[in-house]
Amino acid sequence: MRYIAISLIFIAVLATPVLSAGDSPKPRITDIHGRANGKEARVFFTLRKAFSPEMVEALKSGIEISFKTVVRVERVHRNWFNARLGEVTFSRSVRYDALSRVYHLNRGKGAELFPDIFTALAGMTRYEVIVPLDYEVTRGKRYRAYVRTRLDKVGLSEPLRSILFFSSLWDVETEWARGDISAP
Amino acid sequence: MKENLRRKPDLSPENRVAKRRRERIAIGFVAALVVGLTILEANLAAIGGTVTFTSNIIIFALININVILIVLLIFLVTRNVFKLIMDRKRNILGAKIRSRLVLIFISFSLIPTILLFIAATNITTTSIKSWIGSRVGLALTSALDIARGNLEKEAGSLAGLAEEAASAILRKGEAVSLDAALEAVRRGKSPDVALLVVGKGGVLGRGGDVPGEITSQIGSRLKGLEGNLRRRGALTFVSESYVSAVRLLPDGRAVVALKTIPPHEVSRIREITKAYDEYHQVRLLDDPIRASYVATLILITLLVVFAASWMGIYLARQITVPVQMLAEGTEKVASGDLDVRLDYQSSDEFGNLVGSFNRMTADLKEMKQSLEDANVSLSATFEELRRRSRFIETILTNISTGVIVIDRTGRIAMINRVAERLLAIKMDKVMGKPYKEVVREEHYETVRTLSRELAETPGGQVERQVDLTVGGKRISLRVSVTSLQGDDGEYMGLVVAFDDLSQAMRLQRIMAWREIARRIAHEIRNPLTPIQLSTERLERRFAPSHADDPAFAESTQTILSEVGSLKNLVEEFTRFARMPAPAFKEGNLPEELRTVVETFRSAHPGIAWEFEEEQTPPVWFDPFQIRRAMTNLLENAAAALAEKGRVVVRVAHEPTLGSVRISVGDDGPGIPPEDRDRLFEPYFSRKEGGTGLGLAIVSAVASDHQGTVKVRENVPRGAVFEIEFPVRPKGGG
Repeated sequence: MRYIAISLIFIAVLATPVLSAGDSPKPRITDIHGRANGKEARVFFTLRKAFSPEMVEALKSGIEISFKTVVRVERVHRNWFNARLGEVTFSRSVRYDALSRVYHLNRGKGAELFPDIFTALAGMTRYEVIVPLDYEVTRGKRYRAYVRTRLDKVGLSEPLRSILFFSSLWDVETEWARGDISAP
Repeated sequence: MKENLRRKPDLSPENRVAKRRRERIAIGFVAALVVGLTILEANLAAIGGTVTFTSNIIIFALININVILIVLLIFLVTRNVFKLIMDRKRNILGAKIRSRLVLIFISFSLIPTILLFIAATNITTTSIKSWIGSRVGLALTSALDIARGNLEKEAGSLAGLAEEAASAILRKGEAVSLDAALEAVRRGKSPDVALLVVGKGGVLGRGGDVPGEITSQIGSRLKGLEGNLRRRGALTFVSESYVSAVRLLPDGRAVVALKTIPPHEVSRIREITKAYDEYHQVRLLDDPIRASYVATLILITLLVVFAASWMGIYLARQITVPVQMLAEGTEKVASGDLDVRLDYQSSDEFGNLVGSFNRMTADLKEMKQSLEDANVSLSATFEELRRRSRFIETILTNISTGVIVIDRTGRIAMINRVAERLLAIKMDKVMGKPYKEVVREEHYETVRTLSRELAETPGGQVERQVDLTVGGKRISLRVSVTSLQGDDGEYMGLVVAFDDLSQAMRLQRIMAWREIARRIAHEIRNPLTPIQLSTERLERRFAPSHADDPAFAESTQTILSEVGSLKNLVEEFTRFARMPAPAFKEGNLPEELRTVVETFRSAHPGIAWEFEEEQTPPVWFDPFQIRRAMTNLLENAAAALAEKGRVVVRVAHEPTLGSVRISVGDDGPGIPPEDRDRLFEPYFSRKEGGTGLGLAIVSAVASDHQGTVKVRENVPRGAVFEIEFPVRPKGGG
């Protein structure tokens, strides 16, 4: 009886975050396409429903939001396991500067400043990624891109970091999405 | 009302202590782990500039472990409390005081903690609300607006400079370099003002010093504002570290006039911006922050309450465990277990108490052991004394000497069976009584004489022969009186020993009579034959001449008759005097006796002859003498009954004495008591014509068989003669 009670408590503790995350809209990756040429592949995709209204509000309140994205390119074999050709992991972040009233978007090439949120969010959700491949692609063969994105960091101000260090504000994480890329 | 307290039946004291120690260690370890992990999480969160929530597996794991540990802590403490409640319900010893102490501790901690929790929650909520209140927000917004307004004003002041620089560039065209044109316009201005010409390829011209970081920001910003700039031709923008005005040239290039903000102002602006951001973040995250505070406070409250509960349980155990151990130990001691040792180490009063208890049980055990040893020794001594006493009693019982022990107070302390028989007294009637009450009046003089002689004798012992009449029977006793004295010479009483001399004296008399008979026979027999022969010759020679004289014939016949009688007498004397030594041989005694009885049955048919025999082993006896003795007894019986009556001959075996007893009983007139003493003496006879040697011969036969002969009264009438001798007399087999 004692062990059953402990097990139930343990399961309840572990299941709580999963159950609480059930109501929020699930972010996802769409429109994956691209083309591979030589030893690189250019992959396009769109991240949808990543920013909830609360996140937008948080962004406007000066909270920096960062996404980490993984893009993997594999060659598709019909009767065998797929072969991974290349993979890149990168982050994008956005924050609002209340003084200058601009959004700082960082796509890995220095900060880009945008006066409006739409442009900034478009920069956070539309991707064009170049994936270096281990070897050259073969024309006519099938290649497929796999993409996954999740919330990486939430830049709270110093006092809030110590207050909310153990709580997760939002749960943003997509499933693996895939899309064929051409090899002309 | 007395309560029936119960003990915990499950574990031994050692196991209970070990279990409690393990629980304490577990609770302490879990609590320390919780605190440690919490500090670690806080540090991890503080180290990173930004918090990684979902990707930071370590923090996630730590949080979960922490939660599990807290649950475990709650479980352990709750389990203890639950056990306490159950113990109280089951009326376990010590449960009440433990629950009372725990309740007191919880009450003392719970009430202020809850009050503190409520106050802290209210204060936190109020603080957050006041922090995110409209006035603070308004103030911060206003501060930021003022800062921005100043910066924009500053930027607006640069618009003319940008316009001037643009005009100069357009006016001079390719005549001078951009840097020179810009420098010409900037000349005379403040050193923190600079001019830039930015095109698609980046910064094309520069007038004044501009930090590279700002240059990069301006390029990025112009890219973002490209549309606006194209529409409006000119604009201004501000940052925390610089202000700038932009004028678009017809060829798409942009002339930027900028002014860097002094570092101290940058710092101030940054603080305002930071406060503004924090305010908005707090306002946005109002609920999570409050929940976080409340959760933290709840956690602290629970920890305090559980810590207090555990402390209460711990302290209660500190008190009740030794009490319970003492109670159990006392119970064991009461049930006789003196090996109880309480394992409780402490320097407090309970430790002293338990130590005293252990010393007490050890002393008790030692004393008990001493008592048991003494008891064993006493028992052995007592057993030895009892054995010796039994041995002495056995000796006294079985010896042929009568013994009476009189203690120092003059009371009879012991009397054996021989003394009982000799003095015709009953042991149970005289034991413990003063001997003076027991002594019969006619014996006073004898006792007095003995006492006087004993007092006068230096050795404390006197011995003499005493003739007493006991039960109408005259007996001769050799009496030995010995005064008992202890090691210290103290008088302890008297031992009186009696030896029956009657039988010995009787034998002596028989022997004397035999000697007399032998001499008489010898002296009388010799002249009898000459007298007889002479008388016969006188009769032959002078009878014819004195035929007419009847006196002659009567005289000679009388002489001859009396000589005949004397010869018979001498013959009897001779037989009595010359009784040969018995020739023992093993045989069937009852069969021998039956033969004699059958002879008498034929000779005296008027008498009922009965013969009874018990199971008798082979007996060593002289058949001739036994037949003779038996014949004498049966003749006496037949003479007494005068052919009318009943004679019972009985042969019995006494296994305990190793003897056989032949009894001849008749229902005749019996023997007067006054004749019984002399009955077995020679020449004592009440029978007309009897020689008085028959019973003397019986007595001699019994003596020769190392036995005795007795006569007693028969019931309801008559007499019984009893011959008793050993189954195997000395020299008999």
